[in-house]
This record gives sequence, structure tokens and C-alpha cells, in this order.
Amino acid sequence: MTATPPALAMHGIRKAFPGVVALDGVELVVQRGEVHVLLGENGAGKSTLMKVLSGSVRRDAGEIAVFGRSVRLESPRAARDAGIAIIHQELALVPQLSVAENIFLGRAPARGGVLDMARMGRESAALLTQLGANVHPEALVESLSVAQQQLVEIARALSLQARILIMDEPTSALTERETERLFETIRGLTARGTAVIYISHRLDEIFAIGDRITVLRDGRNVATQVVRAADRRELVRLMANRDVEEFQPASARIIGQVLLRVEGLSHGRALHDVSFSVRAGEIVGFAGLLGAGRTEIARAVFGLEPFDRGTIFVKEQPCEIRSPRDAIAAGIGFVTEDRKREGLVLMRSVRDNIALPILRRLSTLGVVHDRTENIVAEDAVHDLRIRTPGVTQLARNLSGGNQQKVVLARWLATGARILFLDEPTRGVDVGAKQEIYQLINELASTGVAIILMSSDLPEVLGLSDRVLVMREGRIAGEFARADANAERVMACAVGM
Amino acid sequence: MISGRTMRRIIAGREAGTVLGLLVLCVALWIATPYFATAANLSNVAEQSAIVGVIAIGMTFVILTGGIDLSVGSLVALTGVVIGGALQRGWPVAGAVGAGLMAGIGAGAVNGLMITRGGLPPFIATLGMMSVARGGALLLSDGRPISGFPDPLRVIATGNLLGVPAPVVLMLVLYFVAYLVLTRTVVGRYMYAIGGNEEATVLAGVDVRFHKTVVYAVSGLSAAVCAVLLVARLDSAQPIAGIGYELDAIAAVVIGGTSLLGGSGSVIGTLIGALIMSVLRNGLNLLGVSSYLQQVAIGTVIIVAVLIDMALRRRIQRSTR
Amino acid sequence: MHGLQTVRRVVPAFCVALLVAACNRGADSSTKPTVALVVKTLNNQFFIDMEAGAKAAADSLGIELVVQAPEREIDVERQMQIVENLIQRRVKVLLLVPNGSKEIVPAVMKANAAKIPVVAVDTRIDAATLAASGATVASFIGSDNEDGGRMAGAFLVEKLGGSALVAVLEGVPGHETADARLRGFRTALAGAAGMKIVASQPANMERDQAFTVTQNILQSNPGITALFACNDVMALGAVEAIAAAKRTGSITVVGFDAQDDARKAIAEQRMGATVAQNPREMGRMAVITASRLIRGERVPAEQPVAISLVK
Repeated sequence: MTATPPALAMHGIRKAFPGVVALDGVELVVQRGEVHVLLGENGAGKSTLMKVLSGSVRRDAGEIAVFGRSVRLESPRAARDAGIAIIHQELALVPQLSVAENIFLGRAPARGGVLDMARMGRESAALLTQLGANVHPEALVESLSVAQQQLVEIARALSLQARILIMDEPTSALTERETERLFETIRGLTARGTAVIYISHRLDEIFAIGDRITVLRDGRNVATQVVRAADRRELVRLMANRDVEEFQPASARIIGQVLLRVEGLSHGRALHDVSFSVRAGEIVGFAGLLGAGRTEIARAVFGLEPFDRGTIFVKEQPCEIRSPRDAIAAGIGFVTEDRKREGLVLMRSVRDNIALPILRRLSTLGVVHDRTENIVAEDAVHDLRIRTPGVTQLARNLSGGNQQKVVLARWLATGARILFLDEPTRGVDVGAKQEIYQLINELASTGVAIILMSSDLPEVLGLSDRVLVMREGRIAGEFARADANAERVMACAVGM
Repeated sequence: MISGRTMRRIIAGREAGTVLGLLVLCVALWIATPYFATAANLSNVAEQSAIVGVIAIGMTFVILTGGIDLSVGSLVALTGVVIGGALQRGWPVAGAVGAGLMAGIGAGAVNGLMITRGGLPPFIATLGMMSVARGGALLLSDGRPISGFPDPLRVIATGNLLGVPAPVVLMLVLYFVAYLVLTRTVVGRYMYAIGGNEEATVLAGVDVRFHKTVVYAVSGLSAAVCAVLLVARLDSAQPIAGIGYELDAIAAVVIGGTSLLGGSGSVIGTLIGALIMSVLRNGLNLLGVSSYLQQVAIGTVIIVAVLIDMALRRRIQRSTR
Repeated sequence: MHGLQTVRRVVPAFCVALLVAACNRGADSSTKPTVALVVKTLNNQFFIDMEAGAKAAADSLGIELVVQAPEREIDVERQMQIVENLIQRRVKVLLLVPNGSKEIVPAVMKANAAKIPVVAVDTRIDAATLAASGATVASFIGSDNEDGGRMAGAFLVEKLGGSALVAVLEGVPGHETADARLRGFRTALAGAAGMKIVASQPANMERDQAFTVTQNILQSNPGITALFACNDVMALGAVEAIAAAKRTGSITVVGFDAQDDARKAIAEQRMGATVAQNPREMGRMAVITASRLIRGERVPAEQPVAISLVK
């Protein structure tokens, strides 16, 4: 019996950039109808391999065969023609156009040169329903949340009838329900013979959806295993080359007085009568579906959005917060969900980014003390173990995890004792994730009050002393660490 | 991966490239005509570059924050007319100049408020001011130039310090101050941060709206200083002065390596850019090149300078991904 | 990376090298004396004609002529910079058509200091300002613009039977040429009681501005039957605006300068008349004067060039 050729066979792939060999003879074989997980730390070569496969980067050596046919893939167009579609982690949508227009970007159906809007709308709506996305085809992309935009990206790739689908961290901004919906869609695709290459750090997901796993490290293959036979700890070790506690270390912390208390916070339809308090040294986790109101709380308390009703107490004193400056003065810091857009000035140095909120403190009569600034930055780099050649390195050159640490460092430099963390490990590889968890714990043990918002349930459950569940703008439930588990929290979040 | 040190060298190289461009231009002209490299001519060139050079300081600040100011040419006319009118009414020179500077700051601040409070895009707001200020200049002066000013004013253009013409001294001093502000002060850092990522800067607790308004006021002030120079030089305040100066200023900033998107660049680059344009014009005059060809040459230099800058930028970005 | 840096260095030099080759003058020949003619702008037929007349004279006299001008008539600062640069070039004589009669005096002073005689052509340099700064002009070659304005006015008075509503397109405010022409025109009209000037607006000697201004005047003063423009460029713009309003023939337009286009318009009855200066002659006389100055001869302070009405 002749063996049916695999959907994808990559052999001996080599790619070097000036100064570094990104891929050193990498192999990847994906069968039809298989979900093949690609695992590896940042810098292991996953993204370069996928760039080669999607035609953005040309390989130096090696062969690629798609469904048995050898292909050249010298451009994204060629990759698309070969039936390969990639959904990037960094969304590639045009914000000012509608969802339907984005889905059909570059291939808009037309009749005699005139756009067939009706057809675009119909087909888009069908795709979106298939994905379970609550998104209207006419909606402008810029009005959607990050999660919704990602679903549009997925719809676009699906509309391209790809036979090999590459998904790079597709669920990083999706909630549990949407992730489940996505998995169903993926299973539907694989049932039809589509091959899916799935890049993710989330081991729970990997074990839920993956068939086989390939682990890369430093541009080389380390292992290829069948998911069912794989062991979690073993995988993490293979990736990081060290024994790592996958889950956050539990630690005993002294919990002090109430640092932040919010009473009756309400704003339009987003928030209804939200009240909670956080003590020094405590980590309070906010769980809930997307759109439940978590980020809105942070934005309100930090002075970015006005609110209709409610009072904020810092150290039991009522506090008027109308702008980020007021919030910073009150000792509050906010690590936002999207560090590239809201957190960092990428073209400036690590030092400039860390010092930005406190420049006035580091200056006399408006002139900045360079030396003091350097010291502050260097201390931060040391304390948070930020990996960078120096404080003058540009922020954009750092890896995701280190960038996140820079954002953290900045808030610590302002002396913040109350810290909001919104999706702190999004787009961060496993090794760096561990470090950030460690940092969060260390910060808490120095008495910082931490409000953790994350859609990564294991993360919330593992770190928090208390878990508050948000549902439709209200606090639907509260769980102490001992009582909290995934089912109970999820049940509360959906209102069962 | 290219190391941070190499990256720094490359970025420093971008400004070195502009300086080198200027030097090569000078050498080429030195070879082409014996009249270029004389002390008197070089002094002239420096003096001629002061007019646009001064405006370009304010423009650099504005462009660094990601904005643009199209009204500076008209502000030169308006503030010039204010100065001329005051002198005509017998005001002392210091008072008249002060009035002009205040007018410049005021108009610039209006620009800033339209942008920060009114939410107008800088292009539109300053375009509107361009017309309003020009109309204002014509109204105030009844369309006629005002002439005949006292010596203390004229000396700003005709005087010299140790042989260096006064306008050049003024320009260098202002550039030096601007350089210090941008590199050593809190306000300077804020400019770069706002241009690099305005949202992140708001989140860091910086009063972005205030600082953006200040930047446009500075631009208005630059235009007013230029007006002082112009009025002193021509001994006349013309309501039609300054037409097209905003484009020359933007050209100087862009040739000097500041990105129109904001967040990167320096005043030193702008100074070199202004000098390159003056040297080019001077050289083409000396060589007797037709005026039409001169316009083509200057436009070409601008386009080429920006193309090279963008290509260099893409190279740096790609190699760090 | 190095490749791009080298390119950046080489390109400006390349541009200049190209232009050096293109301009074909090479190093200044020491045999022929160089004379500079700086006009208001080369975007105007009047000055192109002046250049032609000057060039012809220069060729026959063995003089090297350099002609430069700013892009727009309104740009005084640019003209001043050009003069400064030409002084550096050690031209023997400077023939100047000033954009600003008073504003250009500092440049004249610099020329005096460099011992370069200055000859004013077509537009006077303000005498009072010259006297106040102690600067001198060797000669003035040009028409009596005021006289020309009078001729234009007289023509309209006669053509319209002494009674009409008149619109006037002024030139650049403060320009001595245009001011003189306006003075003459108004004097001629003052004598006829029935002639009333109902609109008088500047259009900066530019055609498209004249078009727009005329359109607006037609809207606010539909009863006008005559229009005087201080130069043909503006007159032609007005003619087009009148044609667009379908009123050709009911409004008599008079211009100034007798450009070819204006003559054609007169022949086609779209324009009434124009005052002919003789820019070619002015150019010729200017270069001849320069040649005499180089030889050390004395030249008369005033050299009038005759004008005539073309209708």
C-alpha cells in the first residue's frame, strides 16, 4: 500500500541571519487532519520556521513538500497558493475597515469591478457564526476588542480555504468559552483533512487539542512526541533545559492592612456596583469571561476612564483620581494588557521607559540627572533580572518577557504599592513566565497589593490568595484560595 | 543578532551621514567655483540659513511629538507686522520685539489648544491658522509693508560678534539651547516619549495635552524670532513675508533625519539640514544655474534624503526582529 | 549598512556634479567680464523678454551675462540672498529689478561696499531710503510708469464716453511700479466725473489670483464696464474670469506690459488695450550701460524708455 504523503514535510531547514543561526537543520512532519503543536521558548526558532513556511522569509537550505509536492515558497503569495495560511499573534488587520472587508482583504468578491457587498457580508457572517464570534460583519475593526479582532483574523484564514493552517498563540486573548468554540472549529477542520500547526505555551490547551508535539530549542529539534504519551514536566524541561516548576510556587505571605478599597463603582453598562478591597501583600485575582468588566475596573481606578458613581479609598482615605497622574501619586500602578500599544515607548531605551513616570523626581529645575536615572534603571534591571545588554538598549529589541519586566520595573520605580496586572504573561514564553510569577510573588511578599486580571485560569488560580469572579459588570462570586478550582470559578463566571 | 553597541554606532552613523553629505557638497562646490570657499561667502551662507534655520527649531520640536505646523510662514508675517506696527507707534525696540514674541507664542498656543482640546489633527488646525494669521497680517498692516526702523533693531541683522554675523550667533545660541532642552531636560524626554507612543506616555502619568500645547507655542515663538531677523534684515515688515517658509522648515527637519512620524531625531540634524539647503542654493546661484533647475535640485535632495532615511530605518528594524 | 551610508554621502555630491555639468559654464573665464541681471521672477514673459534683449547685447559686446531670479515676485528675502551670492561672485556690474523698492536697499549697500555699481531697471529703488543709508544707484533705466497709467486711464475715459463703473486690479502692495501706474491711472480718471472706481483689490501680479479676485468683483459689482490691471498677467486672468461669466465684450479690460498673449487678446477683441513698455530695449540698454560702467565711463542717472499704447 502506497503511503499517503503527509500534509507537510520539512527537512533540513536552515536559516541564518547576520550573527545568529536561527534554524539549524530543522525537521517537521505534519499529517493530514492532525493538530501538530510546535513548542519552544522565544528564540527557539518557532517563529522563523513559520516565517519560512508562510513565505515571509526565504530559507537558506532544506526541502519543503506540501501534500507530496515539492514547493518553493518564495513569497507569501506562493505560500497562499500552496494552501498555507498563517494567523499571526500580532494582528494584521486594517482598523478603519469593516470586518467583512478585512476578511476579504485583497480578494474582495466583485461583479464587473463593483464590490459585491452583499456576498461579502453573507460569507463573513457564515464564517463568524462558525467560530461563535459575536461580531457583526459591518462593524469597524477598530471598535472591536483584541479578542474579537483575533477571531476576525481566524475567519480570514479560514476563508482562504487553507489546507495547512498555522496558528500562533491564537487563544492568548480569548476566554475559555471562545477557546472551546475555537477548538471545535479546529476539530471540524481537521476532520476534513486540514492540517493545523498550533503554537502555544498553554500546556492545558496543548493537551486538549494537540495530536503530536514537536519541541524546538536553539534552532534544533529536541523531541517529537504523541500528546497522549507526553508528560508535562518532561515537556517543560525539554523546552527550557532545566527542571521547572510549571505551576507557581505557593508561598506563605504576611497579609497586612487594606491598601485599596473600592466601593460601589459603577459606570454606564460596563460596571455595576463593584466593591472590593485589597490588602498589603495580598494577591487578588479577577477571573471571568471577556468583556465581564475586569479591564474596565483597572482603567477606572487608574484614572483613565471617568465613572458615574463610586468611591476609591487608598489606605482608608478617600482618594480623588481623575488622571493617571493622580493614580501614580496615590501609589497605584497599571501594567496594561497590550504593552506594545499602551505600555512601552518601543523606540526608546530601557532606561527611558523605566524612568518616564518619575522624570520630575530625578531632575532639578527641569534638568534630568543622568547618573541618578542610570542608577535607578540599573537597579531595576538587577532586581527584576531583566535580560538586556544594558539600560540603553532599545525596548523593542527585548523579548516579550523582558519587555513585560520593564513595564513592571517602571511601576516599581514610582513606588507603587498597589499594582494592577492585566494579562501579565500574554505573549511571554514559559521560562519568562516562571520568572514573572516569581516576581509577582516576591512583590507581594514585600507588601505590595496586587490585583491580577487574567484569562489564563491556571495562572489566576495558582497565584491568587482570593479569586473574585466578574460577570457582566458585577462581582458574581468570591473564592478563597483553598476553595477555588477551575470548575467552580467557570461556573460562577457563566452564571450557573 | 546585532549587538546593542553596533546598533548605536549605526544610529550615530545616520547623523554622521547628514554631516558627511554637507561636507561632500561643500567640497564639490569648492572644486566647482572659486567663489564658494571664501570667508565672506561662507559667512553669507550661514547668515542666509538663519532665517529658515530658526523656524526649523520649533518645527523640530513639533515634528518630534508626531505633529506638524503649517502656519509658521504666516506667523512670521503676522508677528513681523506686530513688531513693525509697534515701532511705527513709537514703542521702544525691546517692547516691540517683546510684543512680536508674545504674539507668536499666543498664536502657537492657540494652535496647540485646537489640537489638544479641540481634537483637530495638527495638519488641519495649523492649516487654518495659516490662513487666519495671513489675513490678520494683511488686516493689521492694511496690506502695505511698514518700513524704516531704528538702528537698535537693525543691528540684530547687521551686527556681528567677533566677526560672526549676528543672525548666525543668534541661531547657534538658540540651537544650543534647544539641544540642551531636548537631551537633558524632563520636557525634552517627554517630547520623544509623546512622539514615540502617546498612549503609553499618558499612562505614565505625563500631562501630554499640556506639553503638546507648549510645543506649538514654541513653534510660534520660533516664527516670531525669525520675523525679528527678517524685519531687521530688510528694514521692512511685509504682510506677504514668509510664504512657503513652512515647507523649507519641514525640509530642513526631514533632511536632518528627524522622522515625520515622531519620536526620533535631533536639532543638530535640523541645523545640518538647514545648512545643506542654504549651501545648495548658494552654490547654484554662484554657478549661475537657471532658477528653474534650482527648484528641481532642491526638491530632489529632499526626496533622496528621506528615501535614504527610510531605507536605513527599515534595515535597522529588520535586523533586530 | 555601510553601502547605504556611502550612498548617502555620494548622492548630494552626485546631484551637484550633474548640475555642474549641466550648467556648462565651468570655471569663470577671466577674459570676459561678468555682469549679473537679477529680475523679479522668470515666471513672467516681461522679464523673459528683458533677458532676451540683455543676452543679445551681452553677446555682441563680449560680456558674460548671469541671469537669476526668485520663484515669485513677492519674495524679497530670496532676491536679497541672490544678490548677496552674486556679490561674492565678483560680478562687475549688478543690473537689478527690485522686488521691494525699499527692502532691497541693504543689498545695494553691500554692493556699494564691494565696489560693484548697481543699475536699477524697470522699477525704481526708493530714493529716500537710498539717501538715508548713503547708498547709490548708478542709473535708472525704465519707463515712466505713472505716465503709462495715465495713458491707460485716458484710453478708458475716451472709450467709455467719460462714464463707467471701473474695477482695478492692483499689483503687489508696496511695489513702486504698480503704485506708480495706479497713481497715473487715478489721475487720469479724476478728470472725468462719470468714471467711478468701485473696486480696487490686489492680485499680486499673478494670473490665478487675478482670476479669483475678478470673479469676486463681478459678483459684488455686476455693473462694472471697465477694468484696469497693473500688468498683463493679471489682465489676462481677469479676461478669463470675464469669459467664464459670459461677459466678454461688455467689460473693457486694459493691461500693462504688452505681452504677446495680451496683444493676441486685443486682436481677438477680448481685451481693450495695453501699455507697451519695451522690456527688450530695457535689457539691451541695461547691458550697454553696464559695459560703459566697466570701461569707467559716466552714465546718465535717468535713461527713460518710451512707452506707447497698444489697442
